Amino acid sequence: MYSLLSGLVKYVLKKDEYCVLIIGLDNAGKTTLLEQVKTSYCHNSTQFPLDKIVPTVGLNVGKIATQGVKLTLWDMGGQDALRTLWKDYFLSCHGIVYVVDSEDEERLLDSRDVFLKVISHVQTTDLPLLVFANKRDSDHAEDMKKIKSLFKECADVIGQRDCVVLPCSALKNEGLEDGMEWLTLRMKSNEPRPARENG
Amino acid sequence: MGQWFARLFSGLIGTKELRILILGLDGAGKTTILYRLQVGEVVTTIPTIGFNVETVDYKNMRFQVWDLGGQTSIRPYWRCYYSNTDAIIYVVDSVDRERIGISKSELVAMLEEEELKDAILCVFANKQDIEGAMTPTEVSQELGLSALKTRTWAIFKTSAVKGGLGLEEAMEWLCNAIKSKQ
Repeated sequence: MYSLLSGLVKYVLKKDEYCVLIIGLDNAGKTTLLEQVKTSYCHNSTQFPLDKIVPTVGLNVGKIATQGVKLTLWDMGGQDALRTLWKDYFLSCHGIVYVVDSEDEERLLDSRDVFLKVISHVQTTDLPLLVFANKRDSDHAEDMKKIKSLFKECADVIGQRDCVVLPCSALKNEGLEDGMEWLTLRMKSNEPRPARENG
Repeated sequence: MGQWFARLFSGLIGTKELRILILGLDGAGKTTILYRLQVGEVVTTIPTIGFNVETVDYKNMRFQVWDLGGQTSIRPYWRCYYSNTDAIIYVVDSVDRERIGISKSELVAMLEEEELKDAILCVFANKQDIEGAMTPTEVSQELGLSALKTRTWAIFKTSAVKGGLGLEEAMEWLCNAIKSKQ
């Protein structure tokens, strides 16, 4: 009887789980973005002091819930030496958030090339892609049109995948929710990568 | 009554002791790291049989750091210390390429423990002062860290003997990661 009831409770409370990989060059603002998303979706979590964020050399994990599903966010270090680790997460994730530093004009092309490498990987061919042009609050931010056209050049490689370039400011927490909602919708309707069932 | 006051007081000041385990194979440099963190000096150590425990203060946070002996015969006892652990510092001898495989299997076995499910993992690629040491990237690949999908982790290159390279950085990260989790 107990197992029947507990099974029923589990079934009712069961939520699908999706995993999101947050990558991009170093200093793009991935960890800040993760912390901000965590604060806006989990109302009981305390705001983490953003000025204390140090470069990530590994993985930060965050968990949020939205649209009736659970999201596990993987924020990975973006330094050159760490990028080789990204591919180990491609197979088990459901969507990619690629963060671009709008301020860093010099490395904008580098960032695009790294993105191209990621989306050319065979294990990412069925993943929805969300490109965040971060740091829009800055006065020195590169023109949004330019960034968009730069990433549009990848259209051939992107192919059938859902892909969008959105402006945001992780520091001011602007545009993040829109992006996450977009990605969640796409992940839910993405048949090649069904959700992980989780109690 | 006294206890009640003590609890109220510590609640106000916010010095909850966090529990950290320092683990790794024998000769990785765990004890040297512990004392480097605590007294800021390099002490002469002998192989630990049993454990050393010290309180380390860092930026308004108080850590209770347990350094457990790493020899093969006493590794099975690590698990006696797992409960209520906030973070694990896993020390790897970056020069010891022969035993990195053993180090990996010990790590994997440890992380499967239910009691360590929520613990943060901080890997120290130690002995970076010695020539021919593996880079942090190499160490993380050898240890298979990217197989970790639900745990916050980081890797730092450290040298406990040479100016305490990387220790400051690693502790800073550890403090942040623990705060961010709470």
